[in-house]
Amino acid sequence: MTINHHPPEDLLADFAAGRLEEAHQLVVGVHVAGCARCARFVQAIEQLAGLALEAVEPVPVASNAFEQVMSRIHDTPEERTAPDTGRDHGREEDIPSALRNYRIGKRRRVAPGVSMRPIELAGAENARAFLLRSAPGTRMLEHTHTGTELTLVLEGSFSHEGGRFGPGDFDYGDDEIDHRPIVGQEGPCVCLVAMTGDLRMNGLLGRLIGPFVRL
Amino acid sequence: MNVAIRALDGPIRAEAGIPRRVLALLSTGVSKGPKEQVDWADLIGRVASTGDREAFKRLFEHFAPRIKGLMLRAGCSADEAEEIAQSALIAVWRKASQFDPATAGAAAWIFTIARNLRIDMFRRRARANRLGGTSELPDTPDPAESADVVISRVQDAARIASAITRLSAEQSMVVRLSFIEEKPHPDIASLLGIPLGTVKSRIRLAMNRLRDILDEQA
Ligand SMILES: [Zn+2]
Repeated sequence: MTINHHPPEDLLADFAAGRLEEAHQLVVGVHVAGCARCARFVQAIEQLAGLALEAVEPVPVASNAFEQVMSRIHDTPEERTAPDTGRDHGREEDIPSALRNYRIGKRRRVAPGVSMRPIELAGAENARAFLLRSAPGTRMLEHTHTGTELTLVLEGSFSHEGGRFGPGDFDYGDDEIDHRPIVGQEGPCVCLVAMTGDLRMNGLLGRLIGPFVRL
Repeated sequence: MNVAIRALDGPIRAEAGIPRRVLALLSTGVSKGPKEQVDWADLIGRVASTGDREAFKRLFEHFAPRIKGLMLRAGCSADEAEEIAQSALIAVWRKASQFDPATAGAAAWIFTIARNLRIDMFRRRARANRLGGTSELPDTPDPAESADVVISRVQDAARIASAITRLSAEQSMVVRLSFIEEKPHPDIASLLGIPLGTVKSRIRLAMNRLRDILDEQA
């Protein structure tokens, strides 16, 4: 898998620092899990964070904290790692292993040739995450954003003004970018998408697809 | 959220003419004297292999107050910071055998534990706000709710450690303040006594430089 499009560095640094919203953390994390280049960058930020941890002014913990910790260690049964069977996500697409522990909702048709499956998030802040599946050759909605949209290609490809995006590629959209992606002819395109804000739809397809942004 | 900006307390804010950068560097510890050389990785190994309680106590005494300090700087309340510090050390005990010095330094590894606990805490709190209930950290989170799930590792710790030493002191400082201590850019500007635009461009330069150094190594 050759990855040509990576998340911007500040997004990777926010990921490493644990500052992203859940949906964004998920999409960046799935990219990083499959991209050695970005994994190195994230580890470099974690090393910097380790240095910051060493250098920070210590703040005393509760006077009985050590005893509390030892008794919590002994009172709570040793962490049992349940056999990791994952959840049954059906066989329609390969779910990346990083998503295995998430509940993924039922497929919903949102437009001709386009369907989506919402991903259940624990905190459910104001970002949404979903798997978006589009038939070969689909011209996706023309839209602009009020928030940000992170897209990771899992299967197939799409292209827009920014280039061609294949498996592993990461596309970062914000309110300055007008996307008009076209799905490649080689097969359906499955993407993992995180989205904040509203989409201002242009065109009929946008109005058809509108309901799915109100997850 | 209660943002603790210690370095802005006192003389820095009061006297515009003071060499802010020097104070800021001191306050974040960069120019501290020689550190005692303790092999934290070795102590973690002893916890893993023999459940060495003395080794664990030394890890606790060193890292718990630092985790609390860092979490306070990054905007946690005192209770949250205390809870994360304690839970992180419990996780150090339980996960000691998973620590791999080839992928991370001891402090970086412990940082990632604390970071993931904080993510879990904020998610639980968000969900508790929605559903009503407790937002306390359980000792064993459900896998689907744990931030551990998606992190991957490259066996490259030594090279990555040498890469970050090639950032300038100014660059690593701005990365630390912005991403790890989570200070807003205007606060960084006044802390370092530089214009806001310089903060933004310095962060961008630091990010690009780090990417270039890592690409060069690859
Ligand atoms: Zn990448």
